[in-house]
Amino acid sequence: MKTKRDAGKTRQQGKRVKNKENTKRAILRAALELFAEKGFYNTTTKAISRKAGIAEGTLFNYFETKEDLALYFFEDELDGVIEWYDRNTRLKRATVSEQLFAIIQQFLDHLAPCEEFIGAVYLRALAPASKLSPWSLQSQERQLRYLQFIRRVLAQAETSGDIPRVGDFGAYAFGLFHLAIVTHWLRDRSRGKEQTLALLDRCLKLGTHFLRKGGWDW
Amino acid sequence: MGKLGFSLMGSYLGYQAQNLILGEDDRPQRQSRFRQKASRRVREELGALKGPAMKLGQLLSMQDNILPEETLAELANLQMHAPAMHASLARAQFKSALGKYPEELFREFDPEPFAAASLGQVHRAITLDGEKVAVKIQYPAIRSAIENDFKLLRSATIPTRLTGHLPSALLDEIQRGLLEETDYVREADNLYFFRKGLGGLDYVTVPRAYRELSTDRVLTMSFVEGGSFADFLKRKPSQTLRNLVGYRLLEMFEVQARVLKSLHADQHPGNYIFQPDGRIGLIDFGCVKRLSIDVLELRRWYRDRAWRESDAAARQFLTMIYGNAVPFARARKILPMLERMMDIMRPQGSKSEVVIDYRDSAGRKPELKEAVREYTIQVLRDKLINPEFAFIMRADMGLHHLLRELNAHVNLTKLWEGFGDGPAGAHPF
Repeated sequence: MKTKRDAGKTRQQGKRVKNKENTKRAILRAALELFAEKGFYNTTTKAISRKAGIAEGTLFNYFETKEDLALYFFEDELDGVIEWYDRNTRLKRATVSEQLFAIIQQFLDHLAPCEEFIGAVYLRALAPASKLSPWSLQSQERQLRYLQFIRRVLAQAETSGDIPRVGDFGAYAFGLFHLAIVTHWLRDRSRGKEQTLALLDRCLKLGTHFLRKGGWDW
Repeated sequence: MGKLGFSLMGSYLGYQAQNLILGEDDRPQRQSRFRQKASRRVREELGALKGPAMKLGQLLSMQDNILPEETLAELANLQMHAPAMHASLARAQFKSALGKYPEELFREFDPEPFAAASLGQVHRAITLDGEKVAVKIQYPAIRSAIENDFKLLRSATIPTRLTGHLPSALLDEIQRGLLEETDYVREADNLYFFRKGLGGLDYVTVPRAYRELSTDRVLTMSFVEGGSFADFLKRKPSQTLRNLVGYRLLEMFEVQARVLKSLHADQHPGNYIFQPDGRIGLIDFGCVKRLSIDVLELRRWYRDRAWRESDAAARQFLTMIYGNAVPFARARKILPMLERMMDIMRPQGSKSEVVIDYRDSAGRKPELKEAVREYTIQVLRDKLINPEFAFIMRADMGLHHLLRELNAHVNLTKLWEGFGDGPAGAHPF
C-alpha cells in the first residue's frame, strides 16, 4: 500500500513539474512575441501575463524580473542546441570547424526572431549587478554547461587528431569568440546577415588551420 | 593576398613579363621547373581566395598564347576544383537568402555539392513536385568581397593605370561583369533569354530557372544530364563525333553573336555538359556580354582589309575596335601586325573554304604563333586595350581552347552558308 501511494505521489509530482515547465514556456513564448512587437523595454509584465493567460501574480512566481526571463531563454536555447547537436549524425563526421560553425549558427538561428530582445539583454548584461552579467552566479551555471558542451566537441576533435590538444582553455577561447560573433551579428546590416556567416566561416577555418599547422609552438 | 602578391611580384610575374617583352628563351629546363612550382603556388593561393582572384585564375588559364603549358595545366584545375563551402555553411547561406532551410523547400537536398561554380557551388536536389534540379548557392558576402578586392586592386594598379597600360575602363568593365555575376536574378533572366534564343538548335539544352526557389544569391535550375568535357574525351569519341561537336559549338557561338547579339562570355569547359551522342548542355549564364559591335561587319573588314583604302577608313575601323579613347596615331601602328596575322590565317582573295583544324597541333603554323605573340606585345606596349573587347575575347578564347582540346575539324564556310552568307567569308580571329 505504502509503495503504491508513493508511486502515485511521484507521478503527481512529475505531472506538476511538467505543468510548471509548460507554463514557463507559455510565458516565454508570450514574452518573446511581445518583445518582437513592442521591444524589450516597452513590454510590461502585465502585458506578458495577459498574453500568457495567467494572473500577473503568478508570473512573478515563475520569473521575478524580465532578466530571469532572459536567463530562462538562454537556458532553453542551450538545451535546444545541445539536443540538436547530439541528434545530428551527419555533423558528427564533419570537421571540427564545421561543427563549431554549425553550433554558433544554430544559436544565431534561434536568436534571429528576437534580435531586439537579445540586443537589449546585451546592454543589460554590462551592468555588474545584473543577473545577466557574465559574473553573476546564475549565468555562470549556464556558462559552465555551455563550456562543458564545447569542451566535449573539442575533445572529440582532439581524439581524432583534427586539432592538437587545446584543453579547457580552448572552450573558454571559443566562448569569447562566440560572444564576439553574436556582437557582430547584432550589428550586421547585410542581407540575411551573410557577412556574419562569411566572417564565422573564415575565422573558424583560419583558426583550425593555424592550430593544425602550428600547434602551440608559435 | 599580401603573401601572394609579394611572392608573385617578386618572382613569377616579373620573370614572366620580362620573358614576354624581351623574348629570352634561355635555360628552358630551369624555366620549366620553376614554372611548375610557381603554377602550383598560384593555384593553391588563388584557389583559397575565391571570387575575383579565382576568376582571374580562370581567365588566365584560357590565355593559350600568353602562359606556358605547365601553368595552364595547373590553372585548368581551378575550373573544376574550387574549394567548397561545407554543408552547414551552404545550408545557412541558403536560409539567409530564401528565409527557409533547403530541407523545408525541397523533397531531397544533397548537402554535398556536385560542382563548384566560381562564385558558389551547386547541389543536387529534388523539388516537392519530384523534379530533378541543380541549386547554385553563392558564397556569403561575395559581392562586398569583390568590391573590396577592386578597391585594393585599384590602389595597387595606380602606376599601370597612370601609364595607361591598364586602363581604368578595363577594370571597370571587369568589375561590372563580376558584380553582374553575383546577381542570380539577372542570371535567371539570362537563362530565359538564351533558352528561347537557342531553342532553334535541337541539340542544345539550357536549364530552366525556378524563380520561386531562387533569389539573387540562390539559383534553382532544371538539372542538365550529361558529363564534363573530360568525361566526353575519356570515352574516346570518334573523329566524326568530335567534328560534329566542334561544329555545334561554333554554330551555337554564331547564333549568339549574330542572332542574339549576346554572348555566353564564360565559355570554359566546366560550363558545357556533354552527352555521349553529341548533345550539348550550356550552363552558368552569370556572365553574358551584350554585343555593341557587329560581328559580321567586323568580319567584312577583316576579309576585305578595307582599312587600306584611306585614312578615313582606317580611322573608322580602329575606332570600331578600340573606341574613341585611343588616339588614331597610336592605334594605326597595330594594322601591319593585324595584316600579318590575317595573311597567315587567311590570305586575301583566297577562294578556298575556311576551315578550322586543330587535329594536327604540330602542324599549327609556328609563324602564326609568333605573329600573335608580336601582336599581343604591341597591344600591351601601345595600350590598345578596349574594355568592350575584354569579355568578347574571353568568350572567343574559351571557345577555341575547347576546339583545340577536341581536335575538331570544322568547315566554317559551310557553317556560315547555313546562315545565308556567301562563300569565302573570313574568320576574324
